[in-house]
Amino acid sequence: MELDFQTSVDYFWALLPEIVLSLWAMGVLLADVFQKGSRSEASRPAIAWLALAGIAAAAVANVWLMTVTGTGGMIAVDGFRIFANFILLLAAALAILVSMGYLDRHAMNRGEFYVLLMFAVVGMMILASAQDLILLFVGLELMSVAIYVLVGFNRRDPRSGEAALKYFLLGAFASAFLLYGIALVFGATGTTDLALLAETIGTGVQDAPLLLMMGVGLLAVGFAFKVAAMPFHVWTPDAYDGAPTPITALMATGVKAAAFAALLRVFAVSFGGLHETWVVAFWWLAALTMIGANLVALTQGSVKRMLAYSSIAHAGYVLVAVVAANAVGAAAFLFYLLVYTLMTAGAFGIVIANARGDRERVSLEDYAGLGWQQPVMAAAFAIFLLSLAGFPLTGGFIGKLYILRAALAADQVPLAVILVMASLISYFYYLRVVIVMYMRPAPAADTHAGLTASRPLQVAVGVAAIGVILLFFAPAMVLDAAQGSVAGLFIAQEALFGLSRGP
Amino acid sequence: MLTDILFFFFAGIAIFCGIMVVTRRNPVASALWLIGTFFALAAIYTLIGAFFIGVIQILVYAGAIMVLFLFVIMLLNLGNDYQPDLRSRAWMITAGGSGLVLLAILGRVFAADTTAPLGRLTGPEAVATQVAEYGAVGAIARPMYTDYMIVLQVTGLLLLVAVVGAVMLAKRRV
Amino acid sequence: MDFYGSHWVLTFLIFFPLAGAVVAALVPERLARSVALGVGVIELLVALPLFWTFDPAAGMQNRIDVPWMADWGIGYRLGLDGISLFMVLLTAFLLPLTVLGSWSYIRDRQRAFYAMLLGLTTGVVGVFVALDMFLFYVFWEIMLIPMYFLVGVWGGKERIYAAVKFFLYTAFGSLLMLVAILYLYFKAQGLTGEATFAYEAFLALPLTFTEQALLFAGFALAFAIKVPIFPFHTWLPHAHVQAPTAGSVVLAGVLLKMGTYGFLRFALPLFPAAALNETTVLIFMSLAVIGIVYTAMVAAVQPNAKRLVAYTSVAHLGFAILGIFAFNLQGIQGALLLMIAHGLSTPMLFFLLGMMYERRHTYEIADYGGLAASVPILSAMLVFAALATIGLPGTSGFVSEFLVLLGAFQTHPYLALIAATGVIFAAYYMLPPLQRIVFNALDRKENRVIPDLNRRELTILVPLVALIIWIGVYPRPVLDRMEPAVSQLIHQVEGGRMVVAPPTDHAAERPPVAAADEERR
Repeated sequence: MELDFQTSVDYFWALLPEIVLSLWAMGVLLADVFQKGSRSEASRPAIAWLALAGIAAAAVANVWLMTVTGTGGMIAVDGFRIFANFILLLAAALAILVSMGYLDRHAMNRGEFYVLLMFAVVGMMILASAQDLILLFVGLELMSVAIYVLVGFNRRDPRSGEAALKYFLLGAFASAFLLYGIALVFGATGTTDLALLAETIGTGVQDAPLLLMMGVGLLAVGFAFKVAAMPFHVWTPDAYDGAPTPITALMATGVKAAAFAALLRVFAVSFGGLHETWVVAFWWLAALTMIGANLVALTQGSVKRMLAYSSIAHAGYVLVAVVAANAVGAAAFLFYLLVYTLMTAGAFGIVIANARGDRERVSLEDYAGLGWQQPVMAAAFAIFLLSLAGFPLTGGFIGKLYILRAALAADQVPLAVILVMASLISYFYYLRVVIVMYMRPAPAADTHAGLTASRPLQVAVGVAAIGVILLFFAPAMVLDAAQGSVAGLFIAQEALFGLSRGP
Repeated sequence: MLTDILFFFFAGIAIFCGIMVVTRRNPVASALWLIGTFFALAAIYTLIGAFFIGVIQILVYAGAIMVLFLFVIMLLNLGNDYQPDLRSRAWMITAGGSGLVLLAILGRVFAADTTAPLGRLTGPEAVATQVAEYGAVGAIARPMYTDYMIVLQVTGLLLLVAVVGAVMLAKRRV
Repeated sequence: MDFYGSHWVLTFLIFFPLAGAVVAALVPERLARSVALGVGVIELLVALPLFWTFDPAAGMQNRIDVPWMADWGIGYRLGLDGISLFMVLLTAFLLPLTVLGSWSYIRDRQRAFYAMLLGLTTGVVGVFVALDMFLFYVFWEIMLIPMYFLVGVWGGKERIYAAVKFFLYTAFGSLLMLVAILYLYFKAQGLTGEATFAYEAFLALPLTFTEQALLFAGFALAFAIKVPIFPFHTWLPHAHVQAPTAGSVVLAGVLLKMGTYGFLRFALPLFPAAALNETTVLIFMSLAVIGIVYTAMVAAVQPNAKRLVAYTSVAHLGFAILGIFAFNLQGIQGALLLMIAHGLSTPMLFFLLGMMYERRHTYEIADYGGLAASVPILSAMLVFAALATIGLPGTSGFVSEFLVLLGAFQTHPYLALIAATGVIFAAYYMLPPLQRIVFNALDRKENRVIPDLNRRELTILVPLVALIIWIGVYPRPVLDRMEPAVSQLIHQVEGGRMVVAPPTDHAAERPPVAAADEERR
C-alpha cells in the first residue's frame, strides 16, 4: 500500500499498530472494571493474558505494516520504525510475562498495571517513529507519564514511591530541556518536521545560526537524560532500584530503546548536516558513559543496582553507534538494541525469580551457590551475563562487534579502543555474579530450594536465553533485516547532499 | 521598539514569579505566584499577535486550572509547615549557577542575529499571515485539527493515562 | 566421503567433544566419567591416523571454506599443516589421560566437571585449526570459560582469585587482539572491496611499518600473556597451583602452546616487518632469556611442588620463544618440538603431583621424604619425569632445547649462551626437591603407608614415558612432518619482511571503507 498522507485515512493505516494497541488497552481497562468477583489478588491472570494478546495483535499489525510504504507524513513508515517497533513490542511482551508472578507475590495485581504498560508502549512506538518534533514530544510524554506511575506502582514500598518521585522530577526536567530545544530549533528553522529540518539545515555547518546550535544542544541534553548517558544518569540507579523489577526491565529495555531510536532519527537524519558539531558532544558522552558507568558498576553490592549501572554502560556502547552515524552504525544500533533487550530483560527476569515471597533477594550473597541448587536458572543467568559482557557464543558479542565495526568504519579508532577497554572492566563485575553463583557455597543445602519461577517467567527467560544464543550462531536473518531497515534512513540525506559516511 | 521593551518587562515578571513559585513555603502562595507567571505569558503571546492564545491562557490556566490547584491544596489541607525544596546552600549555589550559565549562553544566542531563520517564517510575521487568512481562532484550530490531528489524539491518550495513573497513585485504599 | 582427506576429521575432532560434553552433562552423575573417557578415547583414536595420513608436502590440508555469516565475510574455515598437526595430536592425546587422571581426584559435580573438560577440548582444537580470524577469536575466547570454571569450582583454596586473574589477564590481551583483527578486516575490505575474515586474505595486506608495529603489539600482547612471556607470567603460578590436576595438565599441556602457536601462525606471518625488526627480536629474545633465568631462580626457592613446576613452564616456554624469534629452521623446529616435549613432560609431572596429592593431600615438598622406599614405582616415575623436564639426553626435552639453542646461536650468540645456562639452572631447581621427596630419610609416618601406583595410574603414565623416550631418541618422523611447513613459513615471512607499504599521507589512508564504498557505487 502506498501512503502519501494527503488524507487522514492514510494516518489510520500508518498508525495501525499504535491504534490497535491503544484500543486494546482501553478494552483491557474496561474488562478489568467489569470483571466479576473481588478485585483481590491472584484471581485474575486473564487480564495479563489479554494484555499479551494485545501486544501480539499490535505485532501482527506491525507485520502488515511491512507491506506499506509512505512518505511525507508526520509518522515515518520505514524499515527502521518497523524494526524498532518489534523490539519495543518484544520488550513489552517480556515485561508482561515476568510481571505475572511478581504482581501476585507483591500483592499489587491490578489490571491498570497492564493497561499503563500498554499505553507506555504506544508512547514508545510513537516516540520511535515520529517524523515531527511535536509528535515526538507528545509520544515521549505519553511513555514517560505511564512509566512514572508504574515506577511508583508498589505503594506499600516507600522506595518505590521515592523512585517514582525522583524519576518524575528528573524526567520533567529532561522534558523541559527537550521542549526548549524544540522551540529554539523551530525558531531557527521555522519547522518541526524532521525531513524539512534536514532540508533546511542542509550541509550548512559553517553558517548554522547560534539559535539552532543551542536548540540542538538542548535536545542532546534532553535525550541524554532519557537514555541515561553519563553525566545525565543520576536518576537511573535509584529509579531502577526502587521500581518494581518488571518495570525496571521495561525501563532498561523498551524506554531506552525508544529514546535511542528517536535520538538516532533526529540527530542522524535531521541534523545530519551538523554531524561534525554534535558528534563531538556524543563522542564525549559515549566515552564518559562507557568508562564511568562500568567503573561505578564495579562497586555495587546489589545485583539489581549493578544491572542498572550496566544498562547505563550499554547506553554508552549504543552511543558509539550513534557517533558513527552511518548506515552500518544504524544497523548495528538496531541489532544491538534487540540483543540488549533480550539479555537485559532476561537478566531482570532472573532477579525476579530469585525472590522469596515479596522479599527480593538482590544482594550478591543471595546468589551464592545458586549454580548448583538451581542449575537451569543459574545457567540462563550466566548466559545473560556473558552476553552483557560481550563474550563469544552470545548475541552480545555479535552486537558489540557490529558496533566496533561501525566505529571503525567511521574512523573512530580511539572510541573503539575505549569500548573494548570498558568491556574488559565490565567482565569483572559480570563475572563476579558468576563466581558467586558457582564458586561460593550456599549458606545451607536448601537456601535456594523452593524458588519456583512462574511458568510465564520461565517462558520469558527461556525465549530470551535462546534468542541470545541464536543471535550468535545465526545472526544472518536479523542482520539482514537490520541492514535492510536502515537502507531508507539515510537516502534522503545522501540524495540531498551527496553525503556518504561509510557503507 | 516599544514591543521589545514590553517583552522584556513581561519576561522579567514571568521569571520573577517563577522563582517565587519555587521558593515559597506556603503552597497557596506558590499557586498564586503561578498565576502571575501565567498572566505575564499571556501578555507575551499578545505581543506577538497571538491574541487568541493569550486569552485562552488567561481563561484556562489562570481561570480554571489554578482554581482547581487551589481547590486541591485546600481540600488536602496542606499546611504551612513545608520545608523549602532548596534545602542546602550547595544546592542553591548549584541551581543558581547553572541558571546563570544557561542565561549567559542564551543571552549570547539571542544577541546574535536571530532575525533570519534558515527557511520559513517564524514569529509575529508568521502569526500575522495565518491570522489574516483564517482568523484568530482558525489559525489555531485549522492546523490543530488537520495537520496536528495525530498529536491531538495522542494528547488525548496522554490525558487518559494521567487520569488512570493519578487514580492508581492517589487512591486511599491500597 | 574421504574422512581423512577432507575437513571432516577436523570438524569431528572439534565438535565430537562438544557433543560428548552435552551427553556427560545429562547422564547420571556416576556415569559421567565413563562417558568422558569414552569420548576421550574415541577422540584419540580418530586423531591418531592423522599422523600417517598427513602429507607434509601438501602444505595446508583438510581444508574447508564455507560461509557462516556471509555478509561479513565470516566463514567456517579450517586447515591443518605441519605446525598445527602436532598441537591437535597432543590435545587429543592428553584428553583421555586427563579423564583418567581425574577419575578419583574429582568427587563432586562430576557431570559439570567432565562437560567442562570436554568443552575445553573443543575450544583448544578449534584454535589450532581455525583459518578464519573470527572463528579463531571465538575459539580463543570460549575456551576461557571452561578453564575458568575448572579452576574456580574444582580448584584449591584460593581458586577464585586464581580463576579471575587468569580470566582477566587473558581477556585483556584478547580484546586488543580483536581490535587489531577488525582493523585488518577493514584494511582488507578497503583494498579489495571484499569483506572477509579469511586468514590468507590478511597475509597479503600491504601495511605501513607503523601499522604493522601497532597491530603486532595487539596480537603479541595476547599471545605473550598466554605463553606466558616474562613479565606477563604472574597469572600462571596461581592458576596452576589452584587448578585441579586435569586443569593443570591441560593448561600446561596445550593452553600455553596456544600462545606460541599464535606467534607462529599469526603474529609473525601477518606482520613480518614489525615482528622481525631487529629491536622486536631483541626485545622478545631478551625477555625470553630473562624469563628462563629469572623463573629458574624463583622455582628453586619454591616450597610448593606444584608452584615449582608452574615456574618451570615459564622457563621452558622461554626457550620456545627464543627459538621462534631466532627465526631459522632449527630454531622454529626446536620450538615446535619443545612445545610437544613440554606438553608431555610437564603434564606427567602434574599427573604425578596429583597422584601424590590424592595420597597425602599436600603439595608441600617438606611433607614428603623417602618415597623411594615406600612407593618405588611412583618414585621411579617421578625421577623420570623430573629428568625429562630438565632435558636429559635421551628425552624429548634434550633434542628440542638443543635445536633451539642451535638456532639461537646463529643469530644472537650471547643471548643463546645465557639461555644455555638455563639448562644448568633446571638441574639446580629440579634435583634438590627431587632428592628431598624421593631419596631422603623416610621420616614421616604418613609416607610409609601410602599405596603405590595402581593400574589406572600406570595407564596414564606409561604412554607419556614411551612418547618422551621415542621423541628423545628418534625425533625424525616428527621433524620430517614439520619441516616443509616451517620452511614455507620462513620463506613466506622473509619474503614479506621486505614488502612494507610506503607511509601514505594520513588523510588519503584514513577511511579505507569509504574508499571501497565509493568504488562499489
